[in-house]
Amino acid sequence: MAASAVQELGGDQPPTPRKPLIQPGVISFLILVVILGGWELAGRFDLINPFFFSWPSAIAKAAWVMLMNGQLFVDLWFTGYAYLIGVIAACIFGSALGLAMGWWKTFGQIVDPYVVFFSAMPRIALYPVLLMLFGLGDMSRIMIVFIGVLFPVLFNAYVGAKQTPRLLIDVARVFGYSNNKLFLSIVLPSSLPYLMAGFRTGITLGMVLIVVAEFFGGSSGLGREIAITATMYKTPEMYAWLIYTSLAALIIVRATDYLERRALAWT
Amino acid sequence: MNDFLTIDKIHKSFPARESYLKVLDGITLRQGEGEVVAIVGASGSGKTTLLRIVAGLEQPDTGAVALRGKPVTGPGPERAMVFQQFGLLPWLNVLDNILFGLRPAGLTKDEAEERTHDAIARVGLTGFEKFMPKELSGGMQQRVGIARALAVRPALMLCDEPFASVDTLTRQTMQTDLQKVVRETATSVLLVTHDIEEAIFLGDRVIVFSSRPGRVMEEIPITLPKTRDHSVRTLSEFQELREHIWQRLQSKN
Ligand SMILES: Nc1ncnc2c1ncn2[C@@H]1O[C@H](COP(=O)(O)OP(=O)(O)O)[C@@H](O)[C@H]1O
Ligand SMILES: [Mg+2]
Repeated sequence: MAASAVQELGGDQPPTPRKPLIQPGVISFLILVVILGGWELAGRFDLINPFFFSWPSAIAKAAWVMLMNGQLFVDLWFTGYAYLIGVIAACIFGSALGLAMGWWKTFGQIVDPYVVFFSAMPRIALYPVLLMLFGLGDMSRIMIVFIGVLFPVLFNAYVGAKQTPRLLIDVARVFGYSNNKLFLSIVLPSSLPYLMAGFRTGITLGMVLIVVAEFFGGSSGLGREIAITATMYKTPEMYAWLIYTSLAALIIVRATDYLERRALAWT
Repeated sequence: MNDFLTIDKIHKSFPARESYLKVLDGITLRQGEGEVVAIVGASGSGKTTLLRIVAGLEQPDTGAVALRGKPVTGPGPERAMVFQQFGLLPWLNVLDNILFGLRPAGLTKDEAEERTHDAIARVGLTGFEKFMPKELSGGMQQRVGIARALAVRPALMLCDEPFASVDTLTRQTMQTDLQKVVRETATSVLLVTHDIEEAIFLGDRVIVFSSRPGRVMEEIPITLPKTRDHSVRTLSEFQELREHIWQRLQSKN
């Protein structure tokens, strides 16, 4: 049979595409320089109210100070570890519950009304309740992230499990897989694109929730710092915290993108 | 010899719009060990349903299937299936797709790998072990599907229109190749197709199905040589068989 294989291995390297004259990234950077330059001048020459807007060099100085004295890392860690615990727990628990609901139909029907009810509840409205239950400690923030991230992950997993291709289920059954073995070897991997979409939604929602939760009070954290600096009109510091928060979010989103590409290379 | 596979008075209906759609109407068949039986019938005549029943994926309403005298009640390692839409797991490479079929058998790692490589060589996939399904043409994907079935060393291989999703240029090559591995491995095959030439080319016996509900209209022993190559298609015997079956498929009963 070997001689007639239609596809052959090997081949020529495809030609590399021509590069454009100016990279789009270079243009983006130039635009940024113009905006920052304009802002700086407007600030220095009192064209804008420094009380509300500050200007780039002042913000950069504030950002530099918090980087050097280590305050940035204290808050990053404080927010970051509560966030990560909440997100990871929600991703694991939400995936397991959602997939199980989608695969074991009766279980899904029993749990469904509860899921619908809790998911309809506005997430941040639960925070005062959590504060009452757990106080201002880490547990409240971990729980708000957990609850918030749980539902998008769960719903995506639920849909993912339900769309498992019949064909692949039949294949596994023909080759002797039991219903339970099938769950791990077919339902879970075939739902992976859905799980990833859920994780992505959850990861961004979780960031919003933890920052907003920290507005309510607590000892430190990125959201706490933004709220404090804003109420004290420490405008450069406030923008510096805002920028650091955005950068942290960007890194997390990029890391998720990377993991998603790796995990879904087969699609 | 003729009690390797016994299919007895299979009836099967599916619920459809407050009523029932009769799909199989008393199918009775005998297949001998090492025989290739090709069922040819129009689309919707219940061919896939019959294969699924033999595979143990579906239960008949009445009637029974037995392999070597053992009643079929569910899937089993002595039967493997090749699917019309290939049914490869897209997240596994060629090697792992074939190993997937072997996992429930509980073989040692060495044994499983040896069987996998043997099957890969037989279908001409050597060098493609690490390829992902999406990187392969339809024909190559079905070679993986065939290798996966061969690797479990089934007594009976069930083929559901194995080349219907393969482009016509590749199809005849694949038919020749399939019949070669089937003969080499002495595998019994129950194949269904709507392609008359495919049924004659591959079958030791051709069963002509009526259109829905499926019934056996005629059984035709094929007297062409057991090992065939492309040239048998030009024999007048082949042409006459094709014409005859075509006529039968046009008629109502
Ligand atoms: N699980 C099912 N539920 C309802 N109808 C079905 C089911 N499986 C097959 N059918 C119907 O039975 C008929 C025969 O199907 P099938 O066995 O796939 O025929 P073939 O493979 O010969 O084309 C078709 O009309 C199809 O719609
Ligand atoms: Mg069919």
